[in-house]
Amino acid sequence: MRILIVGGGEVGYLTARRLSREGNEVTIVEPDSERCAHLEESLDVRVVRGSASSVDDLREAGLKQAELLIAVTGSDEVNLLACLIAQGESAALRRVASLRTHEADRWRAVCEQAGLRIDLIIHPESELTSRILRVLRMPGVSDIVDYAGGRVKLFGMSVDEGSWAAGKTLAELDRAGPPRNSLIAMIFRGTEVIIPHGSDVLLPNDQIYIVTRSSDLDKVIEFMGLHAREALERVIILGGKQLGIWVAQELEKMRVDVKLFERDSARCHKIAQMLESTVVVHGDGTDEATLTEENVKGAAAFLAFTAHDEDNIIASLLARRLGAQKLVALINRLNYIPMAHRLGISTTISPRLHIVDRILQFVRKGRVLSVTTFREEEAEAIELVASPQSRYVGKKLKDVRLPRGAIVGAIARPGGEVTVPRGEESIQAGDSVIFFTLERVVRELESAFLREPERRPR
Amino acid sequence: MIRFAALAHVTGLALLGLAAAMIAPAAIALADSSDDLRPLLYSLLITAAAGALLAWRFRLPSTELTRREGILLVTVIWFCAAAFGGLPFYFSHHYQGFTDAFFEAASGFTTTGATVLPLVEALPRGLQFWRIQSHWLGGMGIVLLGIAILPLLGVGSMHLYRAEFSGAKSEKLKPRIAEAAIALWRIYVALTLAQYVVLRLAGVGSYEAVCHAFSTLGTGGFSTRTDSIAGFRQPAVEYIVIFFMILAGSNFARQYQLWVERKPRAFFWDVEIRAYAGGIAVGTAVILATLLGHEGYSLEAAFRSSLFQVTSIVTTTGFVTDDYEKWKPLAQILLLALMYVGGCTGSSAGGLKVSRVVLLLKVVMREFKAIVERRGVFAVRVGGQVVPDASIRSLLNLVYLALLVNFASCFLLAAMGVDLLTTISAVAACMFNIGPALGSVGPMENYAHLPGGAKWVLSCCMIAGRLEFYTMLVVATPAFWRK
Repeated sequence: MRILIVGGGEVGYLTARRLSREGNEVTIVEPDSERCAHLEESLDVRVVRGSASSVDDLREAGLKQAELLIAVTGSDEVNLLACLIAQGESAALRRVASLRTHEADRWRAVCEQAGLRIDLIIHPESELTSRILRVLRMPGVSDIVDYAGGRVKLFGMSVDEGSWAAGKTLAELDRAGPPRNSLIAMIFRGTEVIIPHGSDVLLPNDQIYIVTRSSDLDKVIEFMGLHAREALERVIILGGKQLGIWVAQELEKMRVDVKLFERDSARCHKIAQMLESTVVVHGDGTDEATLTEENVKGAAAFLAFTAHDEDNIIASLLARRLGAQKLVALINRLNYIPMAHRLGISTTISPRLHIVDRILQFVRKGRVLSVTTFREEEAEAIELVASPQSRYVGKKLKDVRLPRGAIVGAIARPGGEVTVPRGEESIQAGDSVIFFTLERVVRELESAFLREPERRPR
Repeated sequence: MIRFAALAHVTGLALLGLAAAMIAPAAIALADSSDDLRPLLYSLLITAAAGALLAWRFRLPSTELTRREGILLVTVIWFCAAAFGGLPFYFSHHYQGFTDAFFEAASGFTTTGATVLPLVEALPRGLQFWRIQSHWLGGMGIVLLGIAILPLLGVGSMHLYRAEFSGAKSEKLKPRIAEAAIALWRIYVALTLAQYVVLRLAGVGSYEAVCHAFSTLGTGGFSTRTDSIAGFRQPAVEYIVIFFMILAGSNFARQYQLWVERKPRAFFWDVEIRAYAGGIAVGTAVILATLLGHEGYSLEAAFRSSLFQVTSIVTTTGFVTDDYEKWKPLAQILLLALMYVGGCTGSSAGGLKVSRVVLLLKVVMREFKAIVERRGVFAVRVGGQVVPDASIRSLLNLVYLALLVNFASCFLLAAMGVDLLTTISAVAACMFNIGPALGSVGPMENYAHLPGGAKWVLSCCMIAGRLEFYTMLVVATPAFWRK
């Protein structure tokens, strides 16, 4: 597919890298010449130096021939303008834009009324809020993702030093009688990603992901030795950016005590007007004295959501030392993520990575229901619908040859039944299948799973 | 950090490719059952064995090649092409020693076309074909060919592309590098076929038609005849060759737009192509004027001869139809100057490239303006586009570097006792991949009599020039090897 990406920032870069690796013809428009040079050096794409809101520059980049426009500059206005230009130039061109304003929903409505068709508007903050809230109430659980319309859950946890599971192989765990329909789907160890088999061992400090039927989630969490859900009492949020405010608003609805730190005093006043029961503190959340004074000790969760990855990591470490229970850090630079996990920050969220996920999902739409990438994009969970022609359909799983580094995590049948399958079961046409796979075999897997037997023209 | 294992693996693949390229010449030798079958077969086996060993023994790393590795790799591949490509010559009795063999192969792959053979017709058809085929393979870039056929290096191949086309305006026809390479090669192959057909229609035999199509499109200059194109004694053939030399020397990206995308404007309104065409026209006119004073030239013959020589030199092909050493000094110095200019960027021609010369003139004009208007700020525009200062700086560097290489090589040649005119013109003709020069290596002579050391210097000049100086020379700097 011919794809035009507007904005060569981090999001544009990551998106372009993935899309070009997947065989698309990608062109990036970026105004800064140094950034252009960097993009040209490191990506197999065409780079056009120019402004995203310039008609001529977009034409030069091949707007007319493109099939998809992705507007991911740092500015909402420019993104919307680029979509507007694209609509004027070619009606058939599909358009995706990321918006960071808190008024994203309003803009969706405005675009619709004004006849500006944008096929996908991504607003990472609102979409991430629910993912964060789900995790907050479960101690020990670092991440929860839904699949098959919520019927399948994937959760992440870290294997602690004293955990009973540490040192055991997956086969041994299996003999300990886990709830049926659950599977350890991925192990992250340092920078390594393992799609495990029975002989793989769980080591302390591993970050693992377990896939399970939603109805069995609590049982599986209990089996892994984690505490069941608790009521949230006190949450501390660092950074009065949009994400912090959104989460605080949701927590207020749940009657949780929220304290929000913000360095800028003018901003504090503004936030105080937007929030009701939340206590807005004007202070530096990376300062130990301030944190102690504001009683971090015993807080159920500490959410570091400032604009700086480094601050978020440092503040999280400090909060843990001072006695906060659950740490969530916003980290935008992908290569910091494994490091943060190693330092014990089990939950990291990345709006940028989220945008990339949503775009990939959109690009592969039709074939793929959802995509979640993990870590430095080394692993993926993808949800595919089995067509009747797929080579995998109708065979027992043990007879299906999957690419190395890919496993079937769960099968959700159209009727509502969900299984985490064993070798004896088989995929039927119409099932949603959730695969866990290393990034490098995604294409192989998708083409093998989705390929229809070739029809010969007669 | 340079990962030598990775470079060894890719070099191995390149050698396997080179061995595959020897199959056709060997097949011709087999069909003729001539005495060059053995040298070609031995070379094929040695090259294939070395390539297979390297490719099998070392593995490609999972992460992509870095820029530094790309630069080194391209340099290594070009030297290997000359060294292994010289084996068939080395094993045959037509060449004296490895120096001559290396020189001939380097001259082939860099599309220089300078030969050490006094009598080309003595060469059997298999070796002859190998020599001329190397022009064709080297013309569009052997590494670019690799990228087109084996798109396995991902982003790393971008660095290779840049290293082989260093300095050229980085302009990709297609977003994906492998597809861009394929697009360029498609145009190249199509033009070669076209010239083959036209030459056949003009009555040239099929073997010679293939050889001359290869040599023309690669802007090489090797011919199957000692007298080069003059040997045909057919004006029609000369005009055909002129036409295809002009195409081979013009930007292939523009030709893609002309032939495939059917946008003639993009081709005919291109600043570089216009300057290139204008340069050929003016050069021809000046030489024509000087020729009219000579005895024995009809107007048509004078026109044809001057157009042919100007085109041949500007496109850095190096075919000859006339002994221009008998021409007036003005004509000779003009040809020498045209050697420096060369063809268009993104073509198979060598030289400094027309667009650079145009830009250089504009930079000089800007400096003049800046002297008059001391506080004025002036942008340099080429074809309406403002040229960034960084590009101007790298252009000036490149020109300076070319001059440096030029002088250094002249000193070396002169130190070996080569006469002045030969030294100056041979260095230019090799650096800019033209072939025939002036003095004792003129259009009617060859390079055989030069001392061995001079041949090595000139071989290095050819490769440095083909890689546009930076790529090969940066490898020789200590900074390149610093960790």
